[in-house]
Amino acid sequence: MIYRSPAQRAITPQHRGRFPGFDVVERADDWDALTAGTVLARLGPAAATVFFTETEAGIAGALLDRLLAQDGEPRIPVLALIDARLAAGETDGWHYDDLPEDGQAWRDTLRYLESDASSRYGTGFAETQVRRQTVLIQQVQDLAAASECWHGLPAERVWSLWTRYACTAFYSHPWAWNEIGFSGPAYPRGYLNPGVDALERFEVADHDDVDPGPFADRVERARHRHLEDQP
Amino acid sequence: MSGSGNVRTRNESAWLLPSDGSRVNHRLRADMRTFDDAEEVDLVVVGAGAGGSVLTQRLARRGWRVVCLDAGPFWDPDSDWVSDERGAHTLYWTEPRQIGGTDPVPLGSNNSGRGVGGSMVHFAGYVPRLHPSDFATRSRDKVGADWPIGYPELKPYYEHIEHELPVAGQRWPWGDPHRYPHSPHPVGGNGEIFLRGAKAAGIEARVGPVAITNGRFGNRSHCIYRGFCLQGCKVNAKASPLITHVPDALAHGAEIRPDSHVSRVLLDEGSGRVTGVEYHRGGVLRRQRAAAVVVAGYSIETPRLLMLSTSRAFPDGLGNRHDQLGRYLMVQGAPQTAGRFEAEIRMYKSPPPEVSTEQFYETDPSKPYRRGWSIQTVSPLPITWAEHVTAQGHWGEVLREYMRDYVHWATLGALCEFLPLAGNRVILADETDRHGLPVAHFAYSMGANDHALMRAATESMETILRAAGASEVMTIDRYAHLVGGARMAATAADGVVDADHRVFGVPNLFIVDGSVLPTQGSANPALTIMALAARAADRMVAIGRTTSGTGTL
Ligand SMILES: Cc1cc2nc3c(=O)[nH]c(=O)nc-3n(C[C@H](O)[C@H](O)[C@H](O)COP(=O)(O)OP(=O)(O)OC[C@H]3O[C@@H](n4cnc5c(N)ncnc54)[C@H](O)[C@@H]3O)c2cc1C
Ligand code: SF4
Repeated sequence: MIYRSPAQRAITPQHRGRFPGFDVVERADDWDALTAGTVLARLGPAAATVFFTETEAGIAGALLDRLLAQDGEPRIPVLALIDARLAAGETDGWHYDDLPEDGQAWRDTLRYLESDASSRYGTGFAETQVRRQTVLIQQVQDLAAASECWHGLPAERVWSLWTRYACTAFYSHPWAWNEIGFSGPAYPRGYLNPGVDALERFEVADHDDVDPGPFADRVERARHRHLEDQP
Repeated sequence: MSGSGNVRTRNESAWLLPSDGSRVNHRLRADMRTFDDAEEVDLVVVGAGAGGSVLTQRLARRGWRVVCLDAGPFWDPDSDWVSDERGAHTLYWTEPRQIGGTDPVPLGSNNSGRGVGGSMVHFAGYVPRLHPSDFATRSRDKVGADWPIGYPELKPYYEHIEHELPVAGQRWPWGDPHRYPHSPHPVGGNGEIFLRGAKAAGIEARVGPVAITNGRFGNRSHCIYRGFCLQGCKVNAKASPLITHVPDALAHGAEIRPDSHVSRVLLDEGSGRVTGVEYHRGGVLRRQRAAAVVVAGYSIETPRLLMLSTSRAFPDGLGNRHDQLGRYLMVQGAPQTAGRFEAEIRMYKSPPPEVSTEQFYETDPSKPYRRGWSIQTVSPLPITWAEHVTAQGHWGEVLREYMRDYVHWATLGALCEFLPLAGNRVILADETDRHGLPVAHFAYSMGANDHALMRAATESMETILRAAGASEVMTIDRYAHLVGGARMAATAADGVVDADHRVFGVPNLFIVDGSVLPTQGSANPALTIMALAARAADRMVAIGRTTSGTGTL
C-alpha cells in the first residue's frame, strides 16, 4: 500500500467534481507495476520548464488555465506536462502543412497572443485580467469556427493544437479521473460489472446528475456578451 | 466452420504463447533463426504488420528463408505496454508527417502503428469482411473501381484468418452471410444502448465481429473487459499479428528483425530485378540481400519507401512509371455521435468494439448518393472524449462540465465508404526525418458523395441514440483506416500491383498490405489485409514454381 497523507486523497482539480470520495489512486495496488509507475509519475513534483522561455511559460500558463478553467488550487500541472512533452519532441506524428511543427507552432502562437493583448489592452497576456484573457481566447475560437486565419495561421489548426495538448495533459492525470468518475488503469483487475447503471465495488455513482447542455448555453452566451462589452 | 480445417495444423501461434501468465515466449525469441546481411535470403519483407506478418508466417511454413524487418520494437506486452491512454503514445508512428488538402487527415494514434504487430497492436478489434459488391463498385454503381479479383477468390482466406484470430460474433446476415468460430461476448453499457436503440428504430444490429477470443484457444487469455483495446492488449485476448502469426513464423525459421528502418529498395538496373533493401539499424546503414522483396509498410510508408527508391529506370520511384504510386489513398469517413442518458453508461468498462450494423452498407437506389456505411460502438477514453467535447467548440468551464458528465454518454461510430480519388495521395515533402529522408505529405479532400454519406450516417446514428432515449446528441467528424496508395489493378496504367500483388514492371517486387486495396467498402480493413496476405503467399509460391523450379522466386 502506497502511503499518502490524508490531504492527498480523492483530490479533484479546484475541488470540483460529482463523485464525492472517489479516489482512483486508492486502487494503485491493483495495477501492474509498469502502469502504476507511468501514472503515479504524474503526481510527482512538477519539473522546471525547459522548452518554454520564462515569458512563453507565463503566457502558456495563463492560456492553459483559461482553456481548462483551472482558476485555483489544486491545479493539475498542465504547463509542466506540456513543456516536458515539447522538450522531448514527442509529437502526435503529424502536423498540418500550413502550420509549423508543434514546438515552433506553440512558440509562434504564444507570441501572437501576446501581441493581441498588447495591441488591444496595452499589457502582456499573462498580466491582463482573466476576463480579458477570455475575450482574446474566444476571438481565436470564433475565427476557428468561421474557418478564418489568425495572424496568418488557420485559426482552426491553432485551436486544435492548443486544445489537443491541453486536454491530453489534463485528462491523463488521476485528479481529473476523480473529477469525472473514470476508474483509470484496469490491468490486471478488469471490470466485473459492465452495463447500464452497473458499478464496480469501488466506483462511486454520480451525485449531481445534471445535463450540461443548459449550463453550456449560459456560459457561452456570457462569453460572447463579454466580447461585446470589452473595448 | 467450412474451410477452417484444424487451425493448429495451419498456425500454431496460440499454442506457442506461454501459459504461466506472462505474455511472451522468450525462449522462442531467443532461439530465433538469424540471417547474415550478405546472405541472399529468399525474401525480405518490409513491415511486420497485418500484411507482412501473415505473409512471413505463411512463407516460412513453406520453407522459404524469410527476414521481416520492422522499423519499430519487438513488443513485449508485459514490459512495454501500459494500461493507460496517454502512456500508449509509444505504439504509434510518431515520426514526422505532413497533412494537407481540404480535409486533412490526422495520422499518428488515429491511423498508424509501428513495431512488430503493426497497427493491429492498437486497432480496435473489429474484423468484418468486405461485401461481394465491394469488388465491383465501378460496374455495379458507376463509382470507385473494380478489383482484378473477386470475393470468391478471397473467401477461403477470410475463413482461414477468422479461425486464426479467432473471431467472436453472432451469425452475420449481411454481405455473404456467414458464422463466426467463437460465440459473441457479453456487452457493456454502450453495446446495450446500441442494441436497445437499433431495436426501437427498426434497425438490425449484431454483436461482433471482434478479434477477441471467447473460449479456449491455445494459451490466449480471456478478455477482462477493461476497455483499453486501442492502447494494446496486455492480456493477449485481442488479436494482433504479434500473437496470432509471429510466433508460428519464428517456429518455422523466419527472422523478425526489429528496430530496422528500411530506407531504400535496391534495384539492379541491368536485370531490372530488386536485390534487397538498405536499412538503418542502431545508427548503421546496412543492406540485406534477397531474391525477392515484399513491401508491407501500410498506405503512407509503402508509397514513401518506393518514392525514395529512385533509379535511372524509375526516376519517380520504383514501380511508378504511370504516376499511380501514392494515389487513390482512401480513408473512411468516421463521424462519431454520442448521446446523453440519465443512466450511467460508463462506456469504458468493456472493449470498445461490441456491436455493429451493416444495414446501410449497400447502395440504396432511392438515395442521391452511392454506396453506404456501417455503424459500430466506439468507447472513447477520457482524452479522446475531450476531443469530442472540444469539437463542439466547448472550452474552459463548459469543457470541464461536459467532461464531468462522461459516465452518462454512449458513443457510436460510422464508417462511410469514401470513394477513391486520384488527387488523394502521398508525395514526398520538403521536410526530412531523423535519417535525413524526406517525409510523407498526405493530401486528402472529400468529394460530394463523401459529404452526403457523412450526413446520412450521422443522422442514422442520431436516430438510434434518440430511439434509445438520448436527451442530447453530439457529433465529431473524423476519419479512420487508411487504405490504397498502391492499388491493385488489371493494367499498369490503372494501378501499382497486379492481381498477384506483383509491382508492374519489377518481376520480384511485391506489395502486401493495406495499400493495395482499390476500394474499401464500409468494413474495417485488417481482416481483408490479412486474407489478401494469405492469398498472396499462395500466389507467390505458384509464381516461384513456374519461374525458378526451386519453389522460391
Ligand atoms: C486506432 C486504430 C483503430 C483501428 N481499428 C481497426 C479495427 O477495429 N478493425 C480493423 O480492421 N482495422 C482497424 N485499424 C486499422 C488496421 O490496424 C490497419 O488497417 C492494418 O493494421 C494495416 O495493415 P498493414 O499491414 O497495411 O500495415 P500495419 O499493420 O500498419 O503494418 C505496417 C508496419 O510496417 C512498419 N514499417 C513502415 N515503414 C517501414 C519502413 N520503412 N521500414 C521498416 N518497417 C516499416 C511499421 O512499423 C508497421 O509495423 C485501426 C487502426 C488504428 C490506428
Ligand atoms: S478489453 Fe479485453 S481485448 Fe480489449 S484490451 Fe482489454 S482485455 Fe484486451
